[in-house]
Amino acid sequence: MTATSSDRGQLRPGLWATVNERYPGSMITKRDLVPLARLAKPLAESRLTFVSTAGVQPKGTLPFDVAHPVGDYSFRRVPSTATPADLEIHQLKYPTAGANRDLNVIFPIERLRELAAEGTIGGLTPSFFSFIGYNMDPERLERTLAEEIAAAVAADGAEAALLAPA
Amino acid sequence: MSLQYLKDAADRGDAEALIRYVRLHLGDGDEARGRAEIDKAWVEALKPLLDVPPTDRAFIHETLATKDPATLAHLFFDLHFYLVKRSGEWIHDGNL
Repeated sequence: MTATSSDRGQLRPGLWATVNERYPGSMITKRDLVPLARLAKPLAESRLTFVSTAGVQPKGTLPFDVAHPVGDYSFRRVPSTATPADLEIHQLKYPTAGANRDLNVIFPIERLRELAAEGTIGGLTPSFFSFIGYNMDPERLERTLAEEIAAAVAADGAEAALLAPA
Repeated sequence: MSLQYLKDAADRGDAEALIRYVRLHLGDGDEARGRAEIDKAWVEALKPLLDVPPTDRAFIHETLATKDPATLAHLFFDLHFYLVKRSGEWIHDGNL
């Protein structure tokens, strides 16, 4: 796990207490933080990947398992060339009405292609990566899903990653 | 609730902690709504059977006899969402 802005203080005081009251034991303490990596070169020269918990996936792939009470620890590759019409959302835990009208509000695949085309971003990896964020086993999440996505991202030649929780 | 919290609850036989989690899961964080959703699923399960139509009893028997308990439990959760969706009253923000 990487270091986060939580080191600088919490934006919504009391939020964790509410979460702990509703979902006892769900908050974890992480001590072996990995520092965020710095860009080796400017973003305009870097190949970017996108990792999202939005539950976006190519049509025809096995839907994310939103029924399982402990979560789904798989991920889907989303071709960075895909159009919104090629994709669909399988996720129960956030409102998808807006994203169903314009997928870019949650999974900005067209915006990223535009930024790459205009040179703001050096390029895009062949695949983006998607999974669902409702997972009750953080150790399994880190041991399997996070490691597998990290390996796939590295194999895709990513030099920068945009991480977006849904 | 973390998985470890749920395992500890199962180990000590704390059914209330476990069912509370199920209600929260099925109610998207709202325990009362989750309880109502469980009731709704059972009502929806009952309704198609009231006219006693033919059902594939062999499929049911074979499935229960041959599939492992975890797969059947997983199916139970899937059936819940199938039934509440079939009711036409969908409380969830997202899609299956």
